Amino acid sequence: MQKSKKVVILGHFGVGKTSLIRRFVTDQFSDTYKVTIGVHITKKMVNLTSEDTISLILWDLEGTDTLEQIRDAYLLGTHGVVFVFDVSRPSTFQDVRTDLKIIARKVPERPLLVVGNKTDLVAEEILAQQLKAHDIPYDYLTSAKTGNTVEDVFIDLANLLHNND
Amino acid sequence: MIKQYQTDFTQKNLQFLLVDHKGLVLECEPSFLPIAKGDSIVEFHPFFECLEALNALPDPEFSFHCVHLTIQDHSYITDIQVLRNKKGLLILVQNQTDHYNNYQGVAQARNESIINEELIVLKNNELEERERFKNLFIQNFSHELRNPLMSSMAIAQVLGNTALTPEQKQLLEVLRDSNGHLNSLLEDTLSLSMISSGKLEIRNAVFDFEKLLGLLAFTYTTRSKAKGLTFIFTVDKRVPLMVEGDRLRLFQILTNLLDNAIKYTTTGSVSLRVDLNNQYANTANIHFVVSDTGPGIPIDKHGTIYESFSQLDTPYKDQGTGLGLALVKGLLNLMGSEIQLESSLDKGSVFSFDLGLKVPLTTSAHPAQSSKPKVDILKMGVAGKKYKLLLVEDDERVLTVLFKILMDTKRFYIDVLNDGGLVLESVIQNNYDLILMDINLPNTSGDQLTKIIRDFPFKNIKQLPIVGMTANAYETHMKAYKEAGMNAVLAKPFEQDELLTTLFSVLR
Repeated sequence: MQKSKKVVILGHFGVGKTSLIRRFVTDQFSDTYKVTIGVHITKKMVNLTSEDTISLILWDLEGTDTLEQIRDAYLLGTHGVVFVFDVSRPSTFQDVRTDLKIIARKVPERPLLVVGNKTDLVAEEILAQQLKAHDIPYDYLTSAKTGNTVEDVFIDLANLLHNND
Repeated sequence: MIKQYQTDFTQKNLQFLLVDHKGLVLECEPSFLPIAKGDSIVEFHPFFECLEALNALPDPEFSFHCVHLTIQDHSYITDIQVLRNKKGLLILVQNQTDHYNNYQGVAQARNESIINEELIVLKNNELEERERFKNLFIQNFSHELRNPLMSSMAIAQVLGNTALTPEQKQLLEVLRDSNGHLNSLLEDTLSLSMISSGKLEIRNAVFDFEKLLGLLAFTYTTRSKAKGLTFIFTVDKRVPLMVEGDRLRLFQILTNLLDNAIKYTTTGSVSLRVDLNNQYANTANIHFVVSDTGPGIPIDKHGTIYESFSQLDTPYKDQGTGLGLALVKGLLNLMGSEIQLESSLDKGSVFSFDLGLKVPLTTSAHPAQSSKPKVDILKMGVAGKKYKLLLVEDDERVLTVLFKILMDTKRFYIDVLNDGGLVLESVIQNNYDLILMDINLPNTSGDQLTKIIRDFPFKNIKQLPIVGMTANAYETHMKAYKEAGMNAVLAKPFEQDELLTTLFSVLR
């Protein structure tokens, strides 16, 4: 059985939301940073079992200074959320708990995964210290550049959405 | 004409679509999107797939700004308005590609600038952290080196007081030279690290300038001769004999410049010239010049030779630490001066600097010439009296040599402890004249013990003279130890004479 689910990708600007989607959808990466304005929407089929597939409609929203600035219309009908931060820039994750509260208010009761991206830029030991020091509640650490753990994020979310029905 | 323009504009930029609840196009005017009546709109772009969810919402109208649509290889940036209608949804798609493309550049510049600024701050923090770690490492490492060096220097001193064959005396001189060299390297490294961390303070005091220059002249005449060089020493007769400044740091500057000159010069001469630029009231401006007939320094290297670990590419590259000129530059900056260099390949090098030094008004006359007074241990303190001394040191090597030095004087009865936790009991039970103890002791540190002793209710204990010994030779630490109540603090490594002079100076 196939069904479509709207997933919004949120986070501050420059954290690699577009790169994560590109890596997941087309398995490509570009080092050039191009700012996303507005929203880009792409679709990717995910096979959950031999019988069940899910069509993820990925809304790549422009990064903002604070999540309060997100246009509410983009969030209408959202089934799941991926919140992305950049592990190499503390400004994108030091207020993560506030950001998650905003998301919970704007998109209540929806599956949410918190992802720290750009792990290729920070030494593992330093990264562990940083995350511990800031008490960051993350679900995945990814690198869109190397592809590390990127697919896991979306497969996990697809399963959550499937089980949520 | 206006109507035509309006029609063209509308056809190019506005698309009206009426779709049913399942996304089937019921009505459609031809415009920029290749959609026709009867098409399923959800197949054109995943955006339209999400419209179905809007049916569940109560709002009559929805607006989506800046939506990127790629349809049949054409990309558009659009504003989309969705209105609820009896038949389904009325969708108005407005092509705003040009407008948003203009905005893209602004957003790109803004975000890049913010991110770059953040990355610069992070990089800067990282560099500062590295620098802090480096300085901490150097300071800890220097600290660890002081105890073994102290032992080595003291053993050389003890050996010097015994009957030695000429060959043994020669070997002892080599040992002393090596100790001295190691000690200067240690001091230079530590000084540079302290300059870098902002901890080094210039400590001005009146000193015998003529004597300092005399010492340099003697040392470098000998060293130049040993290398087959001539040492030329010239001092302006008007240069004051006594000045107020930081003798230790000036000595470090001049020895580093002279060491370098001798190191790189194979034939010819090395010179030290000291001139008086001017003297107003009680301040003399003195010009120092160290020159050599060495290989010279290429002009393109003039900017980098003052960097730490920088060395010229010469056969002597592997000698030394490469810290000397960095230290000279750092110390002179702290003294408000600057090093100057005139040099080019095969023309030798001339390093010079000016230094403003105060001239003490009461000591303008030349002090009586005298060599360093030899410590006469028998005449120190109350002649012939033997003092009861508590020696506390946890480093066995240092303890052994200190014990030997003190015993050889025949002026002390000595109790020995190696643990801070045992000191108070011993002090209470014995009537000591003096305590000589390390600061960094197991269980209770020397400065903590001093504070406790100074708070004792019994006068004989409360006022007991205490001399500390430390490998933490930073000014802030030395000051803190004295504030804790120590009468004097010896920085390791120290010489026998310094030890004995200090001990007798605090005895009641």
